[in-house]
Amino acid sequence: MGKGKYLLKRFIYIIFVFFIISILMFFIYKSMPGDPVDAMLGSLRTSMRPDAYQELYDRTAEQLGVNQPLPVQYFAWMSNMLTGNFGYSTQYQRPVIDVIGSPMLNTILLNLLTMIVVFVISVPLGILTAVRKNGVFDKAVQVVTIIGYSIPSFIIALLAIFAFAVKIPIFPISGVRSPGMDAGGLQGTLDMLWHMALPVLVMSVSGIGGITRYVRAAMIDVLRMDYIKTARAKGLREKTVIYVHAFRNALIPVVTITTWWIIGLFGGSVVIESVFLWNGLGKMLIDGLMNRDFSIVLTMQMFYVLLSLAGNVIMDIAYTLVDPRVRLEN
Amino acid sequence: MAEKKKKAPRRSTMGKAAQRMVLGGMPQEEEELLQSPMRMALQSFVHDKIAMAGVICFVVIFLCCIILPFFYPINLYYQDVTQANVAPGFGMIKVPSALQGNAQDISVGSTFSVGLDKDGTVYEWGTLPNDKLRSIPSSEETGRLIMVSAGLDHVLAANEEGQVFTWGNNRMGLEQVPMQLEMGGTPIKQLEAGYQISLALTEEGKLYSWGSQYLLNISVPDEVQGSIAKVAQSTNMVMALTEDGRIVPLVSGSSSAYVNIPEEIQGDVVDFDLSDESGAAVTSDGRIHTWGNNINGTCNVPQELQGRAVSISGGRYHYTVILDDGTAASWGDNTHGQASAPAMDAPVSQVDAGYYATYAIDENGNVSSWGLDGYLMGTDNLGRDIFRRLLVGGRMTMTVGAIAVVISTFIGILVGGISGYKGGKVDNILMRLTEIVSSVPFLPFCIILSSILGNSISETQRIILIMVILGVLSWPGIARLVRGSVLAEREQEFVTAAKALGVKEFGIIFRHIVPNIITVIIVNATLDFATCMLTESSLSFIGFGVAEPNATWGNMLNGAQSGQVIENYWWRWLFPSVVLGLCTISINCIGDGLRDAIDPKSKER
Repeated sequence: MGKGKYLLKRFIYIIFVFFIISILMFFIYKSMPGDPVDAMLGSLRTSMRPDAYQELYDRTAEQLGVNQPLPVQYFAWMSNMLTGNFGYSTQYQRPVIDVIGSPMLNTILLNLLTMIVVFVISVPLGILTAVRKNGVFDKAVQVVTIIGYSIPSFIIALLAIFAFAVKIPIFPISGVRSPGMDAGGLQGTLDMLWHMALPVLVMSVSGIGGITRYVRAAMIDVLRMDYIKTARAKGLREKTVIYVHAFRNALIPVVTITTWWIIGLFGGSVVIESVFLWNGLGKMLIDGLMNRDFSIVLTMQMFYVLLSLAGNVIMDIAYTLVDPRVRLEN
Repeated sequence: MAEKKKKAPRRSTMGKAAQRMVLGGMPQEEEELLQSPMRMALQSFVHDKIAMAGVICFVVIFLCCIILPFFYPINLYYQDVTQANVAPGFGMIKVPSALQGNAQDISVGSTFSVGLDKDGTVYEWGTLPNDKLRSIPSSEETGRLIMVSAGLDHVLAANEEGQVFTWGNNRMGLEQVPMQLEMGGTPIKQLEAGYQISLALTEEGKLYSWGSQYLLNISVPDEVQGSIAKVAQSTNMVMALTEDGRIVPLVSGSSSAYVNIPEEIQGDVVDFDLSDESGAAVTSDGRIHTWGNNINGTCNVPQELQGRAVSISGGRYHYTVILDDGTAASWGDNTHGQASAPAMDAPVSQVDAGYYATYAIDENGNVSSWGLDGYLMGTDNLGRDIFRRLLVGGRMTMTVGAIAVVISTFIGILVGGISGYKGGKVDNILMRLTEIVSSVPFLPFCIILSSILGNSISETQRIILIMVILGVLSWPGIARLVRGSVLAEREQEFVTAAKALGVKEFGIIFRHIVPNIITVIIVNATLDFATCMLTESSLSFIGFGVAEPNATWGNMLNGAQSGQVIENYWWRWLFPSVVLGLCTISINCIGDGLRDAIDPKSKER
């Protein structure tokens, strides 16, 4: 089966999954108690005359289409979603599409930086510990990594705040930018990086713990293979053996776990964003739920679903890239 | 080392096979050759030091959470602002040795106590709520003090000339001692430092009050002022006993039960005091009468005390009386042992009960104390004991994690078993389902579900909901694992044999195949348990999991998100963090150890 055909099949499947999850979400959302029209009109109920309010109520209900049968509502909502009309946020009194931009950028920046930090540290560390298996350094790293991935991120966050924002105040406790800081350019970027330091540090700790262990395990498996012995017997330099022959083969299991980790990272950043008051998607989701702003919540949810489905596709493609032997079949 | 380990199972299985051939599966004497893979795994697990340390650590935490709540009971709905944010430590009722045999007056404050010896020297002990309490006025300034009283966070003292001094918290007008009392002249009969309020009663029966007017608006009727024999205060009430034996409430607008003093005792009262929501009075015949809301048994006066009481003193939820034979007796809330009065050597001349402790001074000036000595791990912002909440919180966190794992393992075995054994279309559909569930972004989905579904249900239902959400969303991993193992096992001979015997498909999957792969399932369930505990804690931490007043390790940390709390009240986040961290680390160690033990190959990593 060709790559193109496989990817097409995969793509169709993912669209199918997307719709199933969206139907699920939609009906959970609809089964929720509370009148969306009342929620949207808010305090008008008390301030308007009853008959005028009723008229406005009916008009709004008509606009929102809450009187139509559920499947019709679903298709209306879905077609809006697909055309980029994510609904109206009752919390910000603006269309969702207008408020979602900067939090999305913030979250992606945060996660991207975390990914870079984690890979730069954990891949070399994993290889190093695999090569020096059972040495003192390896044992020490093993202990540190098991602690790193066992402790929940919010506890690491509390410790980090205590250490680096309270006792030695070198980083800000929370926020994305310093108040009153709207300068662009180098100064603005540095300010944002300074605010990012603690969240990234916290999110990296558990990532480093997990990925290092996986890289190490995969490398140890590969280093036992016969072709490594052959490569060494040929007299190749040890560096070539490890980085060219062994590492490429160790990448396959690492790619799987990395994809899951990245998807989990976006989900997990909900907690970190709420601790550090990072104005990202996770905080937006929580604020949306607190204020019962369900246009935002549904949009967020669809974004997370899309992200994890995209993760699946990327994983498939990544397989073929790291290992040409992998046939793209079921 | 590794080589040896690897060889062992091969020999045992080979030996077993040979024996089976020769002896037809009869029981054997030679234990070593017969070792089953399960026992091998167990043995290698027991020798794994890290895993065993994990087991011990986890078992200790587990047992503590299961057993200790019986010894340290907790009322989840209990709150008390007077005990908020108390630092960990003991010694709240440890009377300084200099005071023994020399005590003049002692008063219980919120988390500290003040004592006065017969020379007029002031002592303070316990956990001081603020540092201003340390600045006790010098004796040149005050002269000879004869009376002290401790409140929430301030202290009152009076000297022989009737001058009143105050230190500690000086906000809310507490520092503004009325001019007449500052000058002195009239001897002071009684001092009461309360919750942001100060009261002083002169020998002439005139009551002065100052401090926060928001909490208590005291108005003394003209016919009472000047003939007051005693005053008593609690956080929301002040009452006075007049010289003709009547009790008069001085604050209006309180609940009716509280001010509903029994009419038949009016005019006959010799002594009275107030607890948080009730009052108790001693009449001239020595009987004790109570009124108000019977909270924590404050109104359940023991029958044997009736007719023998001389004077009475009340704390937040307990009372202490002096009986006519000179002994002291207490009743009411006994959470901190404040209702268990010890036997005393000499007749008691004076008692002071307040908050959660009682001091009794006997005729020789010796002091006995009982009640709240301190909090092992401090208290949180609502005055709840962190140690006790940690215990019940652990029980809750573990229960939620365990039940979630049971649910997810059950679904996982069911789906994986059927899918792996049936194959074909069923397999395809079930695996697609698995894929759909595993593509759902876990944490955001949990948050959304718990906030949407959890809005209109009771607390217990909410806890069950959290368990179900966690269980229903985390089974794909275990289903895949079971499917893989079933695929490998279903071609084995015992399956063919079972088929030939006519065992039903369901029976083959769950009674023949699953027991063979149970080890893999156990390992996975162990690791899942840690994950579920973590997820529950994360959810509760951001406020979408188990809600207050139920405690879990996650929601105990919920209040500790601000920098101010992290900086000033370290005990509120450190203890839950440490326990949760230890618990998950040890579970992960156990899981890793189990995996190594079952799959000897993985040990080489």
